[in-house]
Amino acid sequence: MTTPATHTTPLTPEAAPGSSRPPMELADLSVMIGGQGGDGTLTVSDLLGRYFRKRGLYVYTSRNVLSRIRGGHADASVRASRDPIAAVKSQVDVLVAFDNEAVEMGGPELASHAFVLYDSTTFKLDLPNSAGFPFATLVGGPLGQPIFKNTAAYGALSVIFGFDHTMTRQVIEERFKRRGGEALEKNLKALEIGRKVALESAGVPDRFSLVDGDAHDLVLTTGNQAVALGFVVGGGRFFAGYPITPATEVMEYLQRYLPPLHGVVRQAEDELAAVNMILGAAYAGARAMTSTSGPGLSLMTEGIGQAGTAELPIVVADCQRVGPSTGEPTRHEQSDLSHLANLGHGEYPRFIVAPATADDAFLVTADALNLAEKWRAPVILLLDQALCQNTVTVPKFDLAKVRIDRGKRLTAEAVAAFAEYKGYSFQDDGVSPVAPPGTPGVWSQSTGNEHDEWGHVSVNPTNRIRMMQKRMEKMAKARDDLPAGRLFGPATARVGLIGYGSTSGPIREAQTLLEARGTPTRYYQARTVYPVPTHEIGPFLEGVDVAYVVEHNYTGQFARLLRETLPQYHSKLRNIVKYDGNSFRAPEIIAQIREVS
Amino acid sequence: MVQSAKARPSIWCPGCGDFGVLAAVKKAAANQKIANHELVLVGGIGCSGSIHNFVEVNGLHALHGRLLAQAVGVKLANPALTVVAAGGDGDGYAIGMGHFMHAFKKNASILYLVMNNETYGLTKGQPSPTAPIGFEGNVEPPFDAILTALSIPASNFIARTFSGDPKTMTAVLEEGLRFNRENRGFAFVEDLSPCVTYNDTFKLWREKVVDVATLGGYDPTDRKAMFRLCLETLESGRIPIGVMHRPKETKPEGLELKLLPDRTGPLGADLGLETNRPAYEKLLAAVV
Repeated sequence: MTTPATHTTPLTPEAAPGSSRPPMELADLSVMIGGQGGDGTLTVSDLLGRYFRKRGLYVYTSRNVLSRIRGGHADASVRASRDPIAAVKSQVDVLVAFDNEAVEMGGPELASHAFVLYDSTTFKLDLPNSAGFPFATLVGGPLGQPIFKNTAAYGALSVIFGFDHTMTRQVIEERFKRRGGEALEKNLKALEIGRKVALESAGVPDRFSLVDGDAHDLVLTTGNQAVALGFVVGGGRFFAGYPITPATEVMEYLQRYLPPLHGVVRQAEDELAAVNMILGAAYAGARAMTSTSGPGLSLMTEGIGQAGTAELPIVVADCQRVGPSTGEPTRHEQSDLSHLANLGHGEYPRFIVAPATADDAFLVTADALNLAEKWRAPVILLLDQALCQNTVTVPKFDLAKVRIDRGKRLTAEAVAAFAEYKGYSFQDDGVSPVAPPGTPGVWSQSTGNEHDEWGHVSVNPTNRIRMMQKRMEKMAKARDDLPAGRLFGPATARVGLIGYGSTSGPIREAQTLLEARGTPTRYYQARTVYPVPTHEIGPFLEGVDVAYVVEHNYTGQFARLLRETLPQYHSKLRNIVKYDGNSFRAPEIIAQIREVS
Repeated sequence: MVQSAKARPSIWCPGCGDFGVLAAVKKAAANQKIANHELVLVGGIGCSGSIHNFVEVNGLHALHGRLLAQAVGVKLANPALTVVAAGGDGDGYAIGMGHFMHAFKKNASILYLVMNNETYGLTKGQPSPTAPIGFEGNVEPPFDAILTALSIPASNFIARTFSGDPKTMTAVLEEGLRFNRENRGFAFVEDLSPCVTYNDTFKLWREKVVDVATLGGYDPTDRKAMFRLCLETLESGRIPIGVMHRPKETKPEGLELKLLPDRTGPLGADLGLETNRPAYEKLLAAVV
């Protein structure tokens, strides 16, 4: 087993340069803002992100917060690049520190050229490549409150990067216009206060300069928002959930989106109620979903089993976080796959689909609803914290790519022509046509017990065999409806990479870096992870000498699933795992690839 | 005429109290002119939870303890349906207790019918949450669902019936169904339904039950008075039956109306991209 490389870059500042030195041009930059929860680090990251987008750059932001409302170390990172990105940059170019802990936390991530901007109200740094201003004190007097120190820091950053002043102010106006009046006015003043002290400080202005990009027709979003939107346009009209990090935002977005469309969102009393409410809604004919994370998923397991046996179409979004038990609620991991592939007691079909990016999450979520309804089986939407919560610039969500397929759902007219209406009739494709309850003239029985075609409880061995086969064979029969994997990199490459979910960002970045170093790679991005798309992965593995399965867990869960289903390629598969709660940085993947020349 | 699932012969022991419930449910639904296809019977797990198999209506057999959550899901997804959740006391007051409490708070217009026999009959006679001290070694005092229901302030319908009195039971169920169909909220009916095999209380209960309406101070719109009346009756060794609460106001307060004031049809009906395109485009345009 391989273990990830860790950053050991020490805090080694250069000697202080003179003010006449030319700015260092950055086409790919990272700013980390750290402090205590409540210091407003996320606001600084948001303001910078808005500015970078005005300059046509791709943006990716991530956050590192503790599971508490206020206090404790919190940091946010914003990365901007001329090229598409969906990963955290391996090194930080500018660190903004509101306390000494932020310096300690961010220190190991700093690039050798990095600059540290800090709030000197409470501490002092003895570093050449740094500048400290007492932001809290500077704003506290004229504005009455120290909380505007974050906007003052943004002002100082605008000087360090030589931002266009008009655009810098526009960002503040756009960010605070909704709060209006006093909030906007004070933030604009704070901006100028920060800007002034930075401009007057030798060695601070124009340390770096930005290049402009051409990424203008994009949206800044998160996987969670994309899932909520995909659910709505996919015809999702019933959502029940229970608050849990990092999945809660799906419910919060839907609380805004669904009511105007006459949809229903319920915050349930627990995850048991949430999954059972969607089972009831799915039975009644609505497209229904819940979202949760590991602990909630464990509680929902029995309900998902009922969906499998009673053939109720539900979608369960699993925003994976560090497990087991309560684990690390706010941190990233991909360690639920083994659980999901074997979910529950007994055996039943399930489809586990895994979007890679936010724009993909939009489409895969909409399609998960089709998959569930057409095949009358539970669908797990496998996500992870980085995909769910980090913000990223992606192409606009495309309604033209969304389709609705309700499978064999029966209309009142269609079922009226039947001699007999059986909710679990045997069919060649394993899918029984169903009319929702309320359809005039017919009714049916639905149960998680083994049942006959009428839905009546049955322990008849012959019936049991036929019903098991009917349900289990759906997994193979649905193959062409499952989201297809994607391939990146030249077909001639001998080194393969395999992953699902948010690892696509660092993997694709690693591919670019490896190509430049003379090691072309071919990357298979799985978008269905269960049933394992052997028809895609088999030929992929045939074409490479070795394939690294990149994932966030200790045991290499996806690799193990591949070894089990494709034993003939056992010797080609290698693990690259990381399980420290952070998402991969591209160099960490590269460091594990032995074939790098 | 399409042939749908036929009623199956029941699995209950001869003389089981649940037969009285089955007859009363059928009669109440017929009297209220509820068509078979409009009624969804959500069954729990246990002897009583198999009731949906013995009626020609839509049946949803839920997980143990989860019938209320599933019934609420059905109702919200299609408010035009009449939804009756029916299960036992173990299902409702033990494993399903969390959902039971929250069902009052949610106040969706569904009828919840608990067949209370103080025991887990299907697993051969273990004490349930309502079992008296001493029953099969039980040392925990029994739980009274009517008192709990009365303690939760919400506009709902609360009643207790006795399988030995099918006429009253039918009338109470009819009132509960009307209450639901007028979108007035949650209706809870606990029926004393003896298990003739493991806890045959028919004779005992017939002696102990007392119609609350005959007691002094009876006013089902006065929650506080009814709590006191029920508690005092229990403490005197009698079991109060009858309607324990009905709201003074007759206005529709069901959850389905609060969430979906403008519609009564199913949520699954109009999912087409074309009909919703303007709304979707507006939603997507707001992401920048």
